[in-house]
Amino acid sequence: MKHARWLVIAPYFLLTILPLAWIFLTSIKVQEDTNSRTVKFIPSLAKEIPDDSRRFTVSPDAYTRLEEKHTGVEYGFYRYLANSVIIGFISTLASVTLGTCCAYGFSRFKIPGARDWLFFILSTRFLPPLAVVMPILLMYRQFDLQNTHLGLIILYTSFNLSLSIWLMKGFIDEIPRAYEEAALVDGYSRWHAFVRIILPHARTGIAVTAVFCLISAWNEYGFAMTLNQQQAVTVPVYFAGLQGNISGIPWPQVAAGIIVFVAPVMVFTVLVRKHLLRGVTFGTVKQ
Amino acid sequence: MATGQQSSDGLMKWGLVAPALLLLIGLNIFPLAYNIRLSFTKATLTQAPADHEAVGGRNYARIFKADESNRYAAALRTTARFVLMAVSIELLLGYLLALSLKPRFPGKSVVLLVFLIPMMLSPAVMALFWNLIYDEEFGVLNQALRFVGFASVPGWKTDTAVKFYTILMIDVWMWTPFMMLISMAALNAIPDYIYEAAEIDRARRWTVFRRITLPMSAPLLILAALLRTTDALKQFDYVMAITGPNDPATETLSTLMYQVMFRNFKVGLGSAYAIVVLVIVIAVATLFIRYLDRLREQEHAL
Repeated sequence: MKHARWLVIAPYFLLTILPLAWIFLTSIKVQEDTNSRTVKFIPSLAKEIPDDSRRFTVSPDAYTRLEEKHTGVEYGFYRYLANSVIIGFISTLASVTLGTCCAYGFSRFKIPGARDWLFFILSTRFLPPLAVVMPILLMYRQFDLQNTHLGLIILYTSFNLSLSIWLMKGFIDEIPRAYEEAALVDGYSRWHAFVRIILPHARTGIAVTAVFCLISAWNEYGFAMTLNQQQAVTVPVYFAGLQGNISGIPWPQVAAGIIVFVAPVMVFTVLVRKHLLRGVTFGTVKQ
Repeated sequence: MATGQQSSDGLMKWGLVAPALLLLIGLNIFPLAYNIRLSFTKATLTQAPADHEAVGGRNYARIFKADESNRYAAALRTTARFVLMAVSIELLLGYLLALSLKPRFPGKSVVLLVFLIPMMLSPAVMALFWNLIYDEEFGVLNQALRFVGFASVPGWKTDTAVKFYTILMIDVWMWTPFMMLISMAALNAIPDYIYEAAEIDRARRWTVFRRITLPMSAPLLILAALLRTTDALKQFDYVMAITGPNDPATETLSTLMYQVMFRNFKVGLGSAYAIVVLVIVIAVATLFIRYLDRLREQEHAL
């Protein structure tokens, strides 16, 4: 009975790790080895390997040739990665800044209808993107924001705001009011109290919020695809667009791309692991 | 002096909250209102807004027409089936994993990290990669099935009866960790002394589970299920990658809307459709928000 738990953990572990292992193995193959009649899964350093072998020659090509342009695509991988970085980081900065200010306002001041506002903010999170994408597209056409970084930055900022405000409000609520009140008595202005007292105490919260905003902007696909043709295409849209490519999907590069693209997310997730739960539940669950 | 402080506070509080609220109104409420207007027109993708022709409730009439060939009703059924199956499988599996992972054991943190990786991947890119695994002829899954002796292997992406489950499996693979995570928190929140008391009473393991563990972790499980439901209702990325939009076997609400708006250019009809979906999402989200509110109040009461 004591070991019964392994009957659950072990199969699920295999189920999780096999596709992940397949990503890694694919990323060190060459294209011909990804689609073969005998599936190849044993990495080997030998140069000449018969077609019907289970072994394949390890190749760093996928990583070194990530930048290669594919048919029908204007740029290489790194250009799109740069787009993802620019859009992801700037929108994260914006939603954390706006979210922190707004959360502080709701946490420390009497705002008429505060409860209703907060629920309005939360409800925007559940809005199906496709219910607003067309009006946003028409608006963006009007203001020349289609195919621009700024367009996606504004959009992701607004879509992450609900998460940012709710998470930050939770963190700021936990900072004792006495800290600021003491500062106000000492002659600090409200603004100084906010900048000098609250912000340093909310550091953890800000970091956690930033990570969650970044991840959701980083992996977003629906809006990025419908609002862009070329200039501000992010990595998910770039890879999804390779489907139906005349020369076939370059699987090793896709696999290598997945690994490169998930690396920052993994690092950040490990950094905020203690607050993971708080992030995925909009701050309702405090670990 | 006091009034001076107060009025500058008043200015400051709106200065703090207004930018965020304005942005939310500008990019959520305004587009939504605009979308409602569009839903009563025959707008197409290429028209200028001034040329949108009003058609009254005709788009809605088309959606609710009781008709065997009604795509909208079919997509609604597919989505409902998807949400129901995905959420219940993920919840059950996630909870089971959390229960199994409760005791300490060597290597636990590594196992946990591996379990969480699927959640971190970009759904659209990972779904593309699943195409390679699922390939009927060369895919590693079918080759493995043939190797262990299956005479006929499923066409994961081509067989009408299978496709839906192919997409379901991807969703389960990617989002079970989420359910596991919340379940783990739910289990951790149950104080040890309750278990100790049960041990003194010589309660049987099953009784302990049924009378203590399950009821005490239920609130968070419901929260997790509601969160996943609102997400799964929007299912788009995996369907796009595996079958593309416009496949009757896997057409979800979101991919149908995409098809209608961006492939058939029927913006008016698509907008009407979006509004119907919105009503469904609002119903589920209201449940969620109410629940969340209650949960927070309980927390304050403690």
